[in-house]
Amino acid sequence: MFSLSQRVQYIANFSMTVGLVIVALIIGSSHLDFFQKGILRNSQAAIANIKPIVGFRTSRFYGAANGHPKENTRIAFDLNTDLSGLFNWNTKQVFVYLTAEYNNTEKGTLNEVTFWDAILPDADHAIIKLENTRSKYSVWDYTGDLSGKDLQFKLHWNVQPHVGPLMYGVAQGDDIIVNVPKPESKV
Amino acid sequence: MNIRAELAKFLNLCFVFSSAYMFWQTYSLIADTHSPIVVVLSGSMEPAFQRGDILFLWNRNKYSKVGDIVVYEVEDKQIPIVHRVLREHHSTKNNGKQLLLTKGDNNAGNDIPLYAGKKTYLAKNKDIVGTVKGYFPHLGYVTIWVAENKYAKFALLGFLAITSLFGDE
Repeated sequence: MFSLSQRVQYIANFSMTVGLVIVALIIGSSHLDFFQKGILRNSQAAIANIKPIVGFRTSRFYGAANGHPKENTRIAFDLNTDLSGLFNWNTKQVFVYLTAEYNNTEKGTLNEVTFWDAILPDADHAIIKLENTRSKYSVWDYTGDLSGKDLQFKLHWNVQPHVGPLMYGVAQGDDIIVNVPKPESKV
Repeated sequence: MNIRAELAKFLNLCFVFSSAYMFWQTYSLIADTHSPIVVVLSGSMEPAFQRGDILFLWNRNKYSKVGDIVVYEVEDKQIPIVHRVLREHHSTKNNGKQLLLTKGDNNAGNDIPLYAGKKTYLAKNKDIVGTVKGYFPHLGYVTIWVAENKYAKFALLGFLAITSLFGDE
């Protein structure tokens, strides 16, 4: 005999199975789409014209301790990229971030810091043309100074899906290495 | 009343709970974290992660990368926070420690005001619960609903009681 609870249970089980199959199809097909476009390994970005702006901050929220001013670096930069290929039916948003890697040989640390980032809500916003844009963040090194270091700039992206795994990648382009100059005076 | 049938039903219930517990513990062992699945509680990563979304974590990586979305716990606060790594610094020596600065995508500033005491960095090996690898929307809202609404708990218990009373055909 079929009782109410059995019917409810059957419907619940069936809809859950159907839901999981649909989710698997969405994830699989969107990966196939990315693979066909070759976008995951072959996104392009042109970073240029990086001008470091070096100053001092005295707040502990800018790395200063015990009132000693801390050297902080901002940059101005140009950026040209088209990441619209990262958008398909399973892309909720793309997060792009401009980072710099550097090696602090005196302290023996490897470091990566973010200078600028943005949330791209759709494919129209994924075509980025920035000229002489100021970085979003004021960056300091946690043990020493950024001045004198060679910063290697890269544009990374992170695809955040409607459902499924998060994906990460780096945009290809020329090697951009910039040396940060010494600041003029401790203001 | 058939005692044997009642016992079988009880055993079945035990089986359901213990298999759920086993799944949780196995996943947590494989992913090397004490809570491998978390529900988003705040809106600081909106619009990507909203309240009630489920995140799947992994914590076997030695170092976090910039751009990774990590879950961390601040000492003496029990609420896990889901934010993105903004900066990383690690020593080149073997087993060198890694320091991280994080920020919510939807927040204006970084997380230094959130950290415990006078800390301005998180330690990867101590503070990080895991890195977000997978995402499933909305499903975790049930747990928020049960935890934050006092009638929801009774509704859920009542529903379970009624189904177990009438479910023996």
